[in-house]
Order: sequence, then structure tokens, then C-alpha cells
Amino acid sequence: MGRTEHLRNVALVVAAAVILAVIPGSLTLYLRSFVLFTMMYVVLALSWNIISGFTGYTSFGHVAFYGIGAYACAILVTDYRWPWLATLLVAAAVAAVVAVVIGYPVLRLKGPYFAIAMLGTAEGTRVIATVWDGLTHGGLGISLPSAETSMPTYYAMLALMLVTIVVAYVVGHSRFGIRLNAIREDEVAAGALGIDATRYKLAAFVLSAVFPAVAGGIQAYKVLYIDPPGVFFVQITIAMALMSMLGGKGTVIGPIVGAVLLYAAQEATWVNFPTAHLIAYGLFIVLVARFLPRGLIGFAIDRGWARKGMVH
Amino acid sequence: MGAEGNGPLSSRHEAVALEVRDLRKAFGGVQAVAGCSFTVPRGQICGLIGPNGSGKTTTFNLLTGVVEPDSGAVIYGGEDIAGLKPFQIFARGITRTFQITRVFREMTVLENMLSVTGLAMPGRRARERAEELLALVNLTHLRAEYGGRLSYGQQKLLEFARALMTDPDLILLDEPAAGVNRTLLQHLLEHIHRLHEAGKTIVIVEHDMHVIMNHCQRIFVLDYGVKIAEGPPAAIQGDERVIDAYFGRRRTRVPR
Repeated sequence: MGRTEHLRNVALVVAAAVILAVIPGSLTLYLRSFVLFTMMYVVLALSWNIISGFTGYTSFGHVAFYGIGAYACAILVTDYRWPWLATLLVAAAVAAVVAVVIGYPVLRLKGPYFAIAMLGTAEGTRVIATVWDGLTHGGLGISLPSAETSMPTYYAMLALMLVTIVVAYVVGHSRFGIRLNAIREDEVAAGALGIDATRYKLAAFVLSAVFPAVAGGIQAYKVLYIDPPGVFFVQITIAMALMSMLGGKGTVIGPIVGAVLLYAAQEATWVNFPTAHLIAYGLFIVLVARFLPRGLIGFAIDRGWARKGMVH
Repeated sequence: MGAEGNGPLSSRHEAVALEVRDLRKAFGGVQAVAGCSFTVPRGQICGLIGPNGSGKTTTFNLLTGVVEPDSGAVIYGGEDIAGLKPFQIFARGITRTFQITRVFREMTVLENMLSVTGLAMPGRRARERAEELLALVNLTHLRAEYGGRLSYGQQKLLEFARALMTDPDLILLDEPAAGVNRTLLQHLLEHIHRLHEAGKTIVIVEHDMHVIMNHCQRIFVLDYGVKIAEGPPAAIQGDERVIDAYFGRRRTRVPR
């Protein structure tokens, strides 16, 4: 990819960052939350995309890392009186360690077996959070003591989103990213070209786990109450996958576009058709799978509106 | 070990690229490779032939770590590389292509080239090298196309070019001619000879006898997972055991 193209993309991100940094003061509380959660889903979709889009290991349990991050933040703030921002680093570190421990065995599985193992992992973390009373306060959940004004969480989420976008972009356009793609396409051939798949997959998995954990921590401080079913909610994983697929997994712009569109659509249907919104959601999944199997970006590529590949 | 063990060790290393000793691999009850031994001389183009199911591709898979051997040794660069992982064997200078092409289908031709590891060069230089190799196999105009959109012959050429990115010492080609049209094949063979002139060792598995007999200096014949004959093309063509392996044993001698 040419230098000018990179510069244009940097300019776009900077412009978006400036706009998002300026607007919250003039937004209603509802709209500010809406933008915050949209940014959160951009983070989640982009992170999921690193292991599932770039590397081809479709995870149905990524909410585990989100939940772990939320609990790390809530426990440290509530029981240990930690300053909130510092807990986010712990959230990231815990998620990274869990990703290594779980990823090492689970990334040996392929396709549906990996997906199901991750689904099981997420359920496992939810059960642990429910039964380990001494650490997590069990099924009652945790109420965070706070004087949240909704501004710190907004800016924290904005910063996290920018970091995630930069990391996803750098990974996507690097030789590291190309090798992740190679593992996705054909692991045997990747090995024959010198790619140590085990190491690369683990690195991708850790990267994809860290940002959702921080997002979970920010979210916990935003809503001030978490419980196991809320933060280990399977639908959050589904949203990550759907958003990436709608936009175009395996790209950087795809999950961003998918997250913005789908979260906005979800919010609109939820507000206007509280009972019918799940039906609309289901219908939407069917339509995307049927007519946009490679997402909006794939649709654009097939018509020659966008170039193929990440490296030009 | 054989009679070639006479000279000093260093000169033996000079002369031998790869030595396979009593290699064995069974899949369930099928003994795919059954105590196979052969020595690939350095700097030669060698052919590995045999009827379908004789263990040629399995041998390649054992040499490159795609399949782990049950027993036996593969000596390369003074080291037994049998049982190492594919990426470790690749790092030692052995590359291969596959019988059924394994290009990365949803990556562009250029990305296919750049996926290779071990390029001790900055990104720009790697890209130049990729472009040079693509030009050699006439794929420059398709650099931004998905690998999966290429014709089968073009995929073979892409795989060949991709395998050369790191400037390997030993190149294993599994049926490079299959599905490649005559013009492209000629091109490919020219390139193989250029690699040979540059001192590379090449082993080709191939069913196209024209390619084997005209371009290889030494041929190993496998049948039921063991080497049944070895020699220059002229000797192999008339070898009774080879003819038996391909056509079955004759009851009476039929004049030619």
C-alpha cells in the first residue's frame, strides 16, 4: 500500500478522533452513552477480527475476556479501593494470561471444534464468576462505589478504540498479519513456508483478548453494576462476530463499519420495536449470511470498488 | 552406511545434500513408506518416481515434517531433521511445493509471496524480490488478484515462485508439471535448470516421464514404500524391476 494511502487513513482516524473528542459536552446523556457503546463495539469487533478474521479461528467465546476485564475492574475498585484507570491494566494483564493458558490447548482445534471449545470457555468463566463467592460476590453481582459523571468512561473508551484501531491496522498491514492470513488459508502450507503457526496463533489470540478485557473494565465503571449473566452474555460474542461479518472480516475497516451500523440498527429496533427486535436481528443474520457472505467490503471488492488484499 | 563413507567428512558433506536412512511410516495398516533409503547428491536435479501409491508424496511429507516418521533418519547439513516441525525444516533451507496446489486462495498473489518467513531483508527488498520472481513465472500482471482466482497452472507457478522467496538450498517439487500447459512448463523447466546452475539441489516427483527422463540427472524409483532402483535416466528406462513395478511382472519374456 502506498504512503499516500496510509497517510489518508491516518488523517481519517485523526479526524474521527478529534470529532469524537469534541462532541460529548454537547450530547445528551443518552446520546453520549450511545456513542460510548458504539465505540465499545468497534473495539470488540476489531479484536474478535484479529483471531477470527485475520487468523481464521472463529471464536464463539470472546465474551469471556470482556467479562474477565469487567470483573477485574469491579473487584479491584470495590474490594481493594484501587483507582479505576489502574484496574484496566490489570484487566488487560489477566486477560492476556488467561488467553495464553486457554489458547495453548484450544488453538490446536480447528473450525467448529475451536468455536465450540471457546463457547465452553465462556460458559466456564461465567460459572466460575457465579460460584466463586469469595472473589466475585457470586450471583448477586457487584455494585461499584463511584461518582461517575460519564465523561471519564467516554474518553477512556475513545482512547481504547483509537489504540485498538491502530493495532489492528498495523497488524493487518504487516508481514505478521500476512502470516496470520496464511494460517487462516492453509496451515499446512503456512508451516511449509516457515510459519510457526502455534506461536503466531497464540500471539493473535492474546492481542484479541486484551482489548475486550479493557472494554469490559470501562463498561463496568460506566454502568456501575455487573453480574455474571450480564458480562458473560453470549449475545455479546455473537455481536462481535456479526459486526465483523457484516462489515467484512479479515479487514480493518470492515469490523468498524459493521459495529457502527449494527449497533445503531440494534438500538433503533430495540427502541421502536421492543418485542420484535430479536426477530429483526435474526432476520438480519440470515440476510447477511445469504447475500453478503464476505460482508460489505467483500461486496465492494467484487464490484471493483475496493482493492483485494491488505498489502499492495 | 554405504561405500561412499570413505572420504573425509567435509567432502562427504560437500557431495551429499540429503541422506534418507531406513525411513518408515504407516497409516493404520498401510505401510506407506517401508524402510526407504536414498542419498541425494548435492547440486543435482533428481527425480523420484514410482506407480501411484508407491510412497512418493508421503516421502516428501516426511522430509518436510508435514508427517512425522515412525522411524528412520533424514540427514541434512550434518543433522537428523526427521521429526522436526515443518517450520524448523524450512528454516534449515528446504522448501517444497505440493502435489495439489496450496496457494492461499483469499490472499493476493503478492501477499502469497510475502507470507514466507525467514527473509532477512527489509520490507521493500522483500517486495522487490517477490516482483522479480513473479516476473520470472509471468504472473506480474496478476499480483493484485486473489490466489484462488488463478488457473491451476498459474497456481502451480505461484507456488513454485513462493517456494523460492528465501533462496533455499534444497527444493522439493511435487508434480510441478501436472496441469501446466506446454509453454508454461517449458518456462518452469528453464527456471529449474537456472536453479541447478546456481548450485541448488532439486528433487522432483513427477508422472510426466518426458520431464523426468530429459531433465533429471539421477532417478530414484519407489514401489510399495521402498527404493527399488536408482540411477541415471538411461539405466532406469531399461531396468527390469522398474518395468515390473509400472506394468506388472511378465510371465514370459516378450520381445520388444
